Amino acid sequence: MFSPSKGVEGHGGTTIIARGVKLEGEFNSQSDVLIEGEVHGTLSTSGLLTVGPDARIKADVSAGEAIVSGTVEGNFVVSKRLEIKSSSKILGDVSAETITVESGAILSGRMMVGTKGTAPEKSATGSSRRERNASAATTLLANER
Amino acid sequence: MNPAFAYIYDELCSERRLEKDVSLLETELSRRGIEGRIVRLAMFRQPKDVVFELMRGPVKNLVFVGNDLTLQKMMPFLPDVDVTFGYISLSPPSALAQHLGIPFGAAGVDAVAARLVETLDVGKINDRYFFTEVVAPEMRASLDIEGRYRLQPAEGGAIAIRNLAGTSGKGCSHPQDGKLEAFIQARVEPKGIAFWKKSALSESHIFFTHGTLSSEKAIELFVDGQSIRGNSFSLSVLPRKIRMITGKQKGWEVNSASLVRKGIS
Repeated sequence: MFSPSKGVEGHGGTTIIARGVKLEGEFNSQSDVLIEGEVHGTLSTSGLLTVGPDARIKADVSAGEAIVSGTVEGNFVVSKRLEIKSSSKILGDVSAETITVESGAILSGRMMVGTKGTAPEKSATGSSRRERNASAATTLLANER
Repeated sequence: MNPAFAYIYDELCSERRLEKDVSLLETELSRRGIEGRIVRLAMFRQPKDVVFELMRGPVKNLVFVGNDLTLQKMMPFLPDVDVTFGYISLSPPSALAQHLGIPFGAAGVDAVAARLVETLDVGKINDRYFFTEVVAPEMRASLDIEGRYRLQPAEGGAIAIRNLAGTSGKGCSHPQDGKLEAFIQARVEPKGIAFWKKSALSESHIFFTHGTLSSEKAIELFVDGQSIRGNSFSLSVLPRKIRMITGKQKGWEVNSASLVRKGIS
């Protein structure tokens, strides 16, 4: 632990919620964010959001870009690129301009690609062909497991 | 004598080991025409009284001579004084001089003579100012940020709120960004099956402008190295509150430059 006589290193402009720390409430940021701990509430950043493999997020999330390796329970809206790594588990609707999904990732929810980060509509009847294709891809990935 | 300059010598300047340094310092000040009134701190002389007494005169630049602790003990009242401050470190700890870009020893006169003045942020905890950092050693506390969200180490941890930097010399926050930085060190179990390993420390890092540090039990904090106790502490930053003479190689600029080189910001 640091003490009055010790100190801590700087990390540039990145916000870090590390393992062993819990964030509750409405978090907004303009900079890059790294989550390794727990988040409950809402999480929003216009920068890059990185969700580490040990992270547990129970929140609606919006980000400029995102790389996910951990668990997210909630809707996920990304303006540009979303990378879903093999260790990730997302329970909620996902939308982004481009989405990359690694084999082994768990996704439960609707996926919208090429939407520039607009939240998926609630109505099931309004699905576009692109959305249906993405949903099919998700099912395939789930079946692979 | 230049009436625009005054110098406050810490008690330690009277120690025999610093005799040569003080003599060299005074020679350099005289050579550059910035020698001024000298006041020496003593055991029963309150630093605040000394500063306010000097302010009755035509002093425009008040320079502290000693070490980091000299500057830290002045900080609780400096933001209320309308003058430009300088600092010359003749003895360790001197990390603050380094962060401010001021060369160690009598060479610090170069920075005072160049008079490169920067306006810097000051932190506030309850009704007290701080310049460097507030440290809450290991304890159970939470940090409420701007009334929007709360951060808490799950198993307890240590929290540091930084405006500039600690006296250790590690890292340096930007004292002109209008923000405070919080560092939370939490104890975490080792990953996987490495049960024989000791628990590790994780470090969280956030920026904020105001918040509240609170705990159910009374806790001890160190504000610029001085101890205070309480249950709840409001924290805020006062942007560009004090004028300080700095050197060319300021710690926060060096930090920013190295981050840009690494492509981080």
